[in-house]
Amino acid sequence: MGASTGTRIARDAPFHDEGHGFDVFGLHPPSLASAIDATSAIYERYFRVDSQGAEHIPKTGPAILVANHGGMLPIDAAMLFLDVVRRTDPPRIPRAVADHFVPRLPLVSTFFARLGVVSGTRANVRYLLERGELIAIFPEGVSGPAKPFRERYCVQHWAVGFAELAIRYRAPVIPVAIIGAEESWPLVMKLRNVRVFGAPYLPIPASLVPLPTHFHIRYGTPLHLDHGHIYTDAENPAIVAAAADTARAAVERLVQETLATRRGVFR
Amino acid sequence: MKVMVTGASTPLGLAIVEKLLATPEISFVLAVAKERKPAHLEDAPRLRYQSVDLTRPRNVHDLLWGDAQHHRIDAVIHTALHRSASDAGRTVHAQNVEAARALVLGCSEHPTIHRFVYRSFADVYSLKDTTTNLLDEDDPLDFDPDSPQWVRDRVEADLTVCAHFGGRLQIAVLRCAELLAPDSGSQLWDYLSSRVCLRPLGFDPMLDVLSLDDAAAAFVAAALHSQSGVFNIPGADRLPLSRAIAESLRLDIAVPGPLMSPLYRLRRIALGFDFRYDLNARRFHLGGILDGRRAHEAFGYVPQVPARWPRPWWRRLIDQLAADRAIASRPEPQAKPLH
Repeated sequence: MGASTGTRIARDAPFHDEGHGFDVFGLHPPSLASAIDATSAIYERYFRVDSQGAEHIPKTGPAILVANHGGMLPIDAAMLFLDVVRRTDPPRIPRAVADHFVPRLPLVSTFFARLGVVSGTRANVRYLLERGELIAIFPEGVSGPAKPFRERYCVQHWAVGFAELAIRYRAPVIPVAIIGAEESWPLVMKLRNVRVFGAPYLPIPASLVPLPTHFHIRYGTPLHLDHGHIYTDAENPAIVAAAADTARAAVERLVQETLATRRGVFR
Repeated sequence: MKVMVTGASTPLGLAIVEKLLATPEISFVLAVAKERKPAHLEDAPRLRYQSVDLTRPRNVHDLLWGDAQHHRIDAVIHTALHRSASDAGRTVHAQNVEAARALVLGCSEHPTIHRFVYRSFADVYSLKDTTTNLLDEDDPLDFDPDSPQWVRDRVEADLTVCAHFGGRLQIAVLRCAELLAPDSGSQLWDYLSSRVCLRPLGFDPMLDVLSLDDAAAAFVAAALHSQSGVFNIPGADRLPLSRAIAESLRLDIAVPGPLMSPLYRLRRIALGFDFRYDLNARRFHLGGILDGRRAHEAFGYVPQVPARWPRPWWRRLIDQLAADRAIASRPEPQAKPLH
C-alpha cells in the first residue's frame, strides 16, 4: 500500500530541520501529513475545490502568493494551503503569514505553527524569502474577513509590505483568486467589545458550520514587480505602492473573471 | 594573546578557561572568580587563578591595574553574573550591573586591554505577539519597569556595555540563548529537573537551547576576533517546549495559563526550586529563537554541540554505560610495523 497524500507531501517537500524534526518556526512534517490527510475529505468532497493555474507557482526559489481574503474564519487560507501542497510537484509548503494576534491564541497558535504558518512580521517573511520559501500573504489582513456580506469579493484595505519584499528579494508575485469562502461562512455580527486573546473582535456567523459552497482557486501569471527596479527601490514608498497596486489589480481582475465563470455558489 | 576570564568558577567560566588553554593562540589565561579555585581546575603553567569580589569597584580597579597590567592581558571575557533568580537587591545589582560598568570603564582606559567580550542574554529581548519568531540583534529590548530585577539588571548591563561602542576598546556583546547546564543559573535546567513539568495549555513554543561547549566556543572565537557589536549566540537545539520535556524524560502536563504562576510559586516555597514562571511566562507562550547570522559572519560561530538534558539519574547511568561500552568495543589501533 502506498503512502498517503499527506505523508508523501511531508516527505517530498523541502524542509529545514533544526535537529529535532521541527523548523525554526515550528513546522513539523508529521503533523502536516496528519493535517493534510485529515482534511482531504473537506477539500475534495465538502468544498470540492476546483483549481486552475497552479503551474504558475515556481518549483523552487522565493515566491509570494497574494490572495483575496474573506469568510468568517480563514477557510480560504486552509483551502489555498491544501491546494498548493497537492498541486505542486515537488510539493511546496506555502508559509502562510498570520495576523499578530494569532500567536496569542491557545491551541490555534501551536497547530498553525506545526503547519508552517508564521506570524506576520517583516523579519519572519524576510528570513523565509532568503531561504527560498513560498509565502502566502493576504494583504487585506483582518479587513477582509471583517467586511460585511454585501461587500463580498470587494478587495478591502491592501497592505503594501509584500511588494517591498518582492522587489528586494526579486521574488515573483503570483496573484490568486479564492471564490467560495465569502458565502461559505458569512459574518452576521462582530462583537467589537469582546476581544478574546487579542483578537480584534468576536465573529458571530450566520450558520453553525460552514456551508458546502463550491470553492474555486485561480492562480494568475507571475508578476515580476522587481523588473525595472534596483534593490534600493524597495525603500521608495511610491514605487512600492505602485507595485502593490499592480498586484491588487491582478487579484481583482482574477476574482471578477472567476466570479463571472462560476455557475453558482454551490455548483 | 593573553585573556582574563571573570566568573571562572561557574560551569561556563570553567569551560571557557579550558577552551582557551586548548587554543594555541592563547599564551596566558587569568581566571577570576569570587570563589576559591575549583578543585577540578588543574594547574597549568599558562593559567593563574585569582579570587576577586567584582562587586567592589576598588577590587576591579586593583585587578585591572595590578595583575591584568602585570600579565599584559589583551582581552577580557566578562561572564560573572548572579545566578539565582530568587535573589534580588543591591548586592545582586552590584554584581550584575556595577561590576560590568566598572570593568568596561577600566578596560577602555587600560594600556594593554583592547578587547572586551561581554556575556549578555536572550532574556533582554522584549517578547510580544508582535515580535518576530526569529530574534535578531535589532529587535526591541525589554524596558518594562515591572519586569523582575533579573531582566532589568540584564538589560541595564547590556546597554551599559553597548554605550562604550565606538571607542578604543573593541567590544563584543554576546546575547546567548539559554545555557542548559547545572549551576549555571539556567531557569530551563531547573524547570526540566522536576519530575513533572507543567506547560501552559494550548501553547508549545519553540525554544533555543545552548550547550556549554558551544557557548565556550563562541566566547573564545569572539575574544580572538576584533569585530565590535552585538551578536546573538543561538544553540544547536531549537525545539518546542514539549520536545524539551520529552528529551529530559519528564512528565508533561498542560495546565491553564493562569494556574502556572501560583503552582510554580508554591513549588518554590515547598521544594526550594529556583524556577520562576513570571520570568519565563512570555517565553513559554511565544517562544523565541535567536538569529545567529551576524555571529557566524563576524567570527564563524556555528552551533554544533547538542545540549545535555537534565535526565533522571537512572537514564544518565544507562547512557554512561552505553558510552563506556561503545568506547571499549572500539578496535585497538594497530601498531605500525617497524622497518
